[in-house]
Amino acid sequence: MPKVNTFKVSVQTGPQGMSEPVHFNFNNHNMPFENVTGSAEAGKTFEGSFEVNSFAHSLTLIGPKSGKWGIEKITVEYDCEGEKPYTVQFGGVNLDEATEVNIWQDPPVLAFDV
Amino acid sequence: MNFIKRIFTGMKQDEEPESSVTAEEKTEEKEIVTSPVIEKASQPETEPSFPDVRRVLQIPVISEGIFPENSDEILIKAQPSPTGDQCLFTVNRSLMTGHSWYFADFESAAGSSLAERLFSLEDVETVLVCECTVTITRKDKTLVDWAPLAKEVGTAIRETIQEGESLISEKIIADLPTEEEVREGIQKVIDIEVNPGVAGHGGNISLLAVRGNSVTIQMGGGCQGCSAADLTLKQGIHTSFRTAVPKVGAIFDETDHTAGLNPFFS
Repeated sequence: MPKVNTFKVSVQTGPQGMSEPVHFNFNNHNMPFENVTGSAEAGKTFEGSFEVNSFAHSLTLIGPKSGKWGIEKITVEYDCEGEKPYTVQFGGVNLDEATEVNIWQDPPVLAFDV
Repeated sequence: MNFIKRIFTGMKQDEEPESSVTAEEKTEEKEIVTSPVIEKASQPETEPSFPDVRRVLQIPVISEGIFPENSDEILIKAQPSPTGDQCLFTVNRSLMTGHSWYFADFESAAGSSLAERLFSLEDVETVLVCECTVTITRKDKTLVDWAPLAKEVGTAIRETIQEGESLISEKIIADLPTEEEVREGIQKVIDIEVNPGVAGHGGNISLLAVRGNSVTIQMGGGCQGCSAADLTLKQGIHTSFRTAVPKVGAIFDETDHTAGLNPFFS
């Protein structure tokens, strides 16, 4: 469980968009994003980041309070202490008032050519 | 709060706090700013509010190709496991299509040029060939640096492929079991041996899928999130499966040991 300095998300919404502010959940703390650009409307891309400075136990993207949010792709850039920055792409998911989606991935295991 | 901050950031007591604040503090700050005092005072004190518990969905990570496409070269990547007990070698071509095979020792490698060559390396203990990968465990469990052995393994895999001999013996290929045989055998050993064994700890094992002779299982109940799950899997379940169904190949565990709020105790 590394210490996360900052992370940045890019969420590509499909035909089912939503107009609520996008929130995430870090270690069970519900938070809004900072440095927000774009939106979660249908066909649009939402971008936001957050300076965390804490150890990651869980990180999720929270569904809307009402209605549905059809996500096509999520890209997360992580900057963790003592690790090279890394990027992870997640596939599509549908979120609603009862769901959130895990967007935490540990730093990649070292692989080398032999 | 400074004390908590020091714990999370590793800051010394006499250090001045940085301008950046933790996620936890930002939550508190926001509550103070956005919650009017009058509203707080009017709330009944006997009704504590709890956060909404939502269901956490897991979605697949889209992995990009680790090798350049259409390369004629034999490219091999080594990836030691986080625990250091085994190393996965991924090759940019198929070694055994649709099936997998577990070589427990040198004797079992007879006629399979790839496994014979790998067992000729001093420290190789077991070899598992699955599709385009080879997983090696080593005899010397005290060594954590895989680089020297991995280079030898990479050279052995590359040279064996270049020699063009059949990598897996024809006898093994001819005797591969059907998926139904594997499913029946594994389900039986789960029902009569594995699950009664882990039930004492509130755990259970489910067979999720069989592909070729490779199986995918999921650990549930007390096993999910348990710190000893890796030991249970490798020393208990693998041994039971391979004893009962000797022709079973790769055994994948699809358990998400981090899911849930408190998986071991729930």
